[in-house]
Amino acid sequence: MRYRFARVVPVLAALAMLLGSTAAFAQEYVKVDNVPREQLPAPQFVGAAYGFIWVAILVYVIVVARRLAKTRGDIDELRRRVDSATGTKR
Amino acid sequence: MATMSTVGRGFAAAVAVAIAGFLVVPMLIVSAPVEPVMGVVQKIFYFHVPCAIMMFLSTFVAAAGSLSYLFKGAERGDRLAHAAGELGVLFGACVLVSGPLWGRKAWGVWWQWDARLTSSLLLFLILNGYLLARRYGGPAGKKLAAALALFAAVDVPLVYKSVDIWRTVHPQTTVVPSLDPAMRPAFWASFALITLVWGILLTLRLRLEDARATVEELQLMTDDLAEDHP
Repeated sequence: MRYRFARVVPVLAALAMLLGSTAAFAQEYVKVDNVPREQLPAPQFVGAAYGFIWVAILVYVIVVARRLAKTRGDIDELRRRVDSATGTKR
Repeated sequence: MATMSTVGRGFAAAVAVAIAGFLVVPMLIVSAPVEPVMGVVQKIFYFHVPCAIMMFLSTFVAAAGSLSYLFKGAERGDRLAHAAGELGVLFGACVLVSGPLWGRKAWGVWWQWDARLTSSLLLFLILNGYLLARRYGGPAGKKLAAALALFAAVDVPLVYKSVDIWRTVHPQTTVVPSLDPAMRPAFWASFALITLVWGILLTLRLRLEDARATVEELQLMTDDLAEDHP
């Protein structure tokens, strides 16, 4: 058992050194040839920008139109109350 | 009554032209030549720049309205400032979303803390502060917000000239005047459309502010009447 352990330890140590050196390599800048340049799809970026702008404007129009409709409803209601109150006064 | 009808017809005509613009302008942008360095992504420019100009315009209108409110007590000026301030935030959001999308493709990064981008973000935050001060500032909120609108207006020239004063990754102010003639129709058509949309939104938003002022007046009247005749 002790014999097996003595054989495994150097193998594990060598493996750890190898992994350690690989990790150390990963910290460095290494020149690699023939790697394709990162290509981002331009039409998707253009579409996302336009889409955001027009959706934002559309949502804003809907929100303002709804607020305006509610406020006009409030005006009608308040005018009815004023009319009925002044009618009572008369 | 006739004036109201004319205003209504004018507003409807503006909306009709804007809808037509939505159909025509994208076609002009697609047919505009592709910029050789940045490629297709440069077409974001046709909407990004007009949105930035509308953010500036909104800020100036908010500042002008705030000035009239602060020094003359004009409630109508305050309402105009509120409407314009909200539009400044809307178009600011459009600029701050479309810009990074362009930058990610053109520069390889979403954001750079350079002078133009940072001062634009600052302007957007001041305009948000304006709206928050109005909403949560209590009785002095309107005056506090009006002062913030003036600070925002001071930031506008800084945003515009930042690319000339400091070294930045952002294109300089010479881009629009030196635009290729083949790109000009798309840019100016887009600019006209966005300006028209801005005008429509400001009119709509101002109507809401006026309606809210009417509600407040009527509320006071009903309260008075209720006190007189409990």
